[in-house]
Amino acid sequence: MIGLSHYLVVSAILFSIGLVGVLRRRNLLMLFFATEIMLNAVNIAFAAISHYYNDLTGQMFAFFIIAVAASEVAVGLGILIVLYKKHGSLDLDDLATMRG
Amino acid sequence: MDNILSILVFFPAVAGLLGFVVDKESARAYGITVTMITFLLSLWLWFSFDTANAGMQFVEMIPLIPDMGISYYLGVDGISLFIILMTTLMTLVGMVSMGETKNIKNMIITLLFLEMTMLGVFVALDAIIFYLFWELSLVPMLYIIGAWGGPLRIYASIKFFLYTFTGSLIMLVGMLFVAYLYHSLTGVWSFSITDWYALVLPVDYQLWLFAAFFIGFAIKVPMFPFHTWIPYAHGQAPTIGSVILAAVLLKMGTYGFVRFSLPMFPDASVMAITPIAVLSLIMVIYTAMIAYAQKDIKQVIAYSSVSHMGIIMLGLFAMNAEGLSGSVFQMLSHGIVSGALFMLVGMIYERRQTKLMSEFGGLAAVMPKFAIIFGIMLMASVGLPLTIGFVGEFLVLLGFYQVSPMMTILAGTSIILGSVYMLRVMKFTFFGPLDKEENKKLKDLNTRETWSLIPLVAIVIWLGVYPKPVLGPIDNSVNALLVFMDEKAITKEAKDMIKVPKSVKEAK
Amino acid sequence: MENLVYIALFAPFVGSLFAALFGMSERKIFVGIIGSALIGLSFLASAILAYNLYTTGTVVQVRMMDWISAGDLNVGFGFVIDQISVTMMTVVTLVSTIVHIYAIGYMDHDKSFNRFFSYLSAFVFSMMILVMSDNFLGLFIGWEGVGVCSWLLVGFWYHKPDQKREDNPSISPSWAANEAFIMNRIADLGMLIGIFILYWNTGSLQYDVVFAQLPYLSDSVLMWAAIALFIGAMGKSAQFPLHTWLTDAMEGPTPVSALIHAATMVTAGVFLVIRANPLYSMEAVAGVSFFIASLGTFVAFYAASMALVERDLKRIIAYSTLSQLGYMFAAAGLGAYWIALFHLAAHAFFKALLFLGGGNVMHAMHDELDLFKMGGLRKKMRGTWIYMTIASIALAGLPFFAGFYSKDAIIETAFNEGTYVLWGILVLTAGMTAFYSFRQVFLSFHGEERYKALGFDPHEMYKFVLVAMSPLAILAMITGLFMNQYKAFIYKIGESVQYEMSDHTHHLAVWLILLVVFIALSGIALAYFKYARTGEHAFKPDEKTANGFFYKLLINQYYVPVFYENFITKPYMMISEMLWTKVDLKIVDATVDNIARFFYNTGDKTRRMETGNLSNYLNWMALGAVILLVVAAISAMLV
Repeated sequence: MIGLSHYLVVSAILFSIGLVGVLRRRNLLMLFFATEIMLNAVNIAFAAISHYYNDLTGQMFAFFIIAVAASEVAVGLGILIVLYKKHGSLDLDDLATMRG
Repeated sequence: MDNILSILVFFPAVAGLLGFVVDKESARAYGITVTMITFLLSLWLWFSFDTANAGMQFVEMIPLIPDMGISYYLGVDGISLFIILMTTLMTLVGMVSMGETKNIKNMIITLLFLEMTMLGVFVALDAIIFYLFWELSLVPMLYIIGAWGGPLRIYASIKFFLYTFTGSLIMLVGMLFVAYLYHSLTGVWSFSITDWYALVLPVDYQLWLFAAFFIGFAIKVPMFPFHTWIPYAHGQAPTIGSVILAAVLLKMGTYGFVRFSLPMFPDASVMAITPIAVLSLIMVIYTAMIAYAQKDIKQVIAYSSVSHMGIIMLGLFAMNAEGLSGSVFQMLSHGIVSGALFMLVGMIYERRQTKLMSEFGGLAAVMPKFAIIFGIMLMASVGLPLTIGFVGEFLVLLGFYQVSPMMTILAGTSIILGSVYMLRVMKFTFFGPLDKEENKKLKDLNTRETWSLIPLVAIVIWLGVYPKPVLGPIDNSVNALLVFMDEKAITKEAKDMIKVPKSVKEAK
Repeated sequence: MENLVYIALFAPFVGSLFAALFGMSERKIFVGIIGSALIGLSFLASAILAYNLYTTGTVVQVRMMDWISAGDLNVGFGFVIDQISVTMMTVVTLVSTIVHIYAIGYMDHDKSFNRFFSYLSAFVFSMMILVMSDNFLGLFIGWEGVGVCSWLLVGFWYHKPDQKREDNPSISPSWAANEAFIMNRIADLGMLIGIFILYWNTGSLQYDVVFAQLPYLSDSVLMWAAIALFIGAMGKSAQFPLHTWLTDAMEGPTPVSALIHAATMVTAGVFLVIRANPLYSMEAVAGVSFFIASLGTFVAFYAASMALVERDLKRIIAYSTLSQLGYMFAAAGLGAYWIALFHLAAHAFFKALLFLGGGNVMHAMHDELDLFKMGGLRKKMRGTWIYMTIASIALAGLPFFAGFYSKDAIIETAFNEGTYVLWGILVLTAGMTAFYSFRQVFLSFHGEERYKALGFDPHEMYKFVLVAMSPLAILAMITGLFMNQYKAFIYKIGESVQYEMSDHTHHLAVWLILLVVFIALSGIALAYFKYARTGEHAFKPDEKTANGFFYKLLINQYYVPVFYENFITKPYMMISEMLWTKVDLKIVDATVDNIARFFYNTGDKTRRMETGNLSNYLNWMALGAVILLVVAAISAMLV
């Protein structure tokens, strides 16, 4: 039987993969994907826990996150395209204009 | 004129804004006219002031944020009235005597804004309004030191700003906590100082709050060991900056003690007498000795002004009418005398571009008028009877004698040490042979300089011979303050220590 | 009567203001004349007041206006004309008038002539406030006022440069002026404390109110009040150890020395003790009073000893003033207040005369003060010689001159009180006084004409100056004759000033007087043989005595000024320097700066984190999140 803990483990693994991606990747596009993975990891946890408690709030929240993530991707990709047009690259090491 | 106080406070600021469109050549005349009108307004305030009434007068109250109990709340009593008069007078005199030529228009606009903030501090009866003006006053001063100062001006101005600003932030926390306490005790929010007066706090709360306010005020006074910003500020500031700084800005600290600490925390104040007296004694003696070691005339006066502030602090914590009235009177006297001395030093600096005593000598022969006025101010500074300096110093020492004879003797050394360093300045600057070529051609005071100093000389002598018109209202308000503190105090020690004059007791 | 009080008080003030109007212009003779006339007017008013008091016996008390009132304190400008103050008023204004007229001649060539008169009249005004005031604070106004005028006048020739102590023991006028002012301030602190003690214990500063309360005060309060007030008196009257300023104050113009540092200001301390006689005659302060008498006796002897070897004409007279002030304190301390006051008046006359005579000599010798460079001047300056001799006889206490009555009465008092040690010292000092005062007369007016070799051409003072001095000469001769009338006059004040010799003393009085006169005469004879002869016995300064231990000790004023310089002035400067450079800058200020620097450095170091690289930021963010999680977990576990 697949229980709550299995879902949570999957969610945690996915989150970790996303986190490693955020930390290690240099390409902004990949970074975006990594954050999406993290968000979805959270969504899985929300959905699982919602099912476990028989409370729909969690699933509702997951939908919200999906919606927000979608719009965020829309805006974010737009910025990325502009950036790419301007700098010809999406490598983070090349984009360090804010050095203190 | 019901809202005379608002007019008094905001007239200089509005005039300052209009000053941007004034022609550069006429800026000085404009500045003098505006400060003159402000001074006349404050004189009018004095004439319509009811001297028999010890409470707040000309009160104005407009709620700003009613939910938080913050309102635009102004008023004056006998204590603040004369500090206001001194502020407008010193701004006027400083403006007349100002020899600055660089960016004169900006300087005048800055000064007018500074005048607004200073007046605001002394009329505010709402803690937030008080705090607002208190902090705002830093900005024009920062600008004056930073833009017109000497070679180290950036260091000096930043030190001045950050040092006093840190202190006031701690004071702000104290204020917010008082408001919170007020809310939790009465259920309504209020930042009005007069509401706060009614608050009877347990002793441990009083002590913490006293400490918070103390840091804010003590840095401004400046009390030992928080005084080190002042030699830099005075050393680098242009003359007008030093005049205003010594005459008015320092008084904001001591005024804060009278307005907040004493009536709000009477028990804590009584407990703080000894530590504060010790710090004040260190101020009096230690800075007088440092003043003696200085080579620069302006630094002598800067340190001497710290030394005299020590006397004022001592009087505030004498807890009797003699000491407190004397202390408030000494604030005025110190403002006028040290302001005049800074102006005099500025005048000689303009002529010789140096303030070092070793560069002078024998100036009395070429600048007799200058020497005479300097001599009069010197005598007032060392507290000669029949000058303004004596009345305050005598009353403070007399008052504190009741608290501690030993400490009074130590504080009394200020009359000796004061004459030691001031006479040294006199001797090395004005006496002795006139042996430096550059000094032989020095010009005596010109008409503008003379006329900016003569009113101060007149006041120094007038209030020394007949201080009653000023001392009377001060004493009245001080007596009311003491009665209030005595009734409010909760510990027995505090009740014993706070001495209401016999005559006031009998009248009740 | 009230108008007379105000005229006596304010005429000098008007004179001072009038002269001040011309303060910066060149010499105007009418400034001097009007100034003198106004002081004369003040004298006239004082004399009428004195006569009125003498005939009617009514004390006049006026209150002009309020001064300081705060809390329970309420002091005003009030004046009282009683026997004590009227004595002082007449003496002060009389001597002042003469000195003013004298100064017209003496300051003739000085370009600051007008300024001088302004200061001098201001001094008289302050002195009048001092003696006329009816409360302690009013007295303090005058007290400080005379101090300032003394400062201005001692430093009158401010342009003179500082010299080494070996060349000029007073260094420079401005130095001497500052020394006088600061030393007086030390004493003034004592006086202020005395005022505080009296105020907090009696609730007033008015003399009569305070004195009426005295019997109800505790012994310690009385004692401390008496001590504190006497410390004030010690400064103004230059008693040991605050005495060094008086001889240095001789740097001022001679009329100033005559008026301020001989006749009037320096006697203010004695006046204070006499004024506060109800306090000093209390049983509880008997110890203090005896200390006053002992200190006075000591100073009388101590100052006289230094005068024995001094070569500077004015400094000798200054020492003799110091010594005579000691006599006055001795009398006041022993309770003979009226005798002290009488000696004060008599001393004012003959000492002013002596100083003015000295001024004539100075004027004639072009400001040369070394007695060894004079000699035989009587041929050139007959009038001055006569005056100086009269004054010296009066000072030495030879019969029928002023000093004979007043000083002998003091010596008799010491005998009468049974304080034989004090008596012995005072008698010995009387001999020394006679010796040094005649040493000075003989060295300057008799003997070989040493000045000729040095190229001086002395000339007598103006006639009008000599005439103006004549009242002093007459008074120096005859004052003593009025002793009994004066006694009757002042006895009216009350019991506390009355002092009578016991029968036993009366019995021995003649012998005592003879003894004193004999000792004084032997002093004069000694001085004559040593200094006055001409020819082969003529006086010559010799190296051997000049290098002797005692001579060196005395000429260096027992090394007290050097001691002050090395153990007070210099260490004070050193400590001040150290406090400034080592403590204030290196500790207090450095601490503040270090706090600021700490924040600045922290920021500067952590600034490196801001690489501008998003990936780095994300790493830091992750690290932060982990730390927060750990903290949350730990705190959750702890709770």
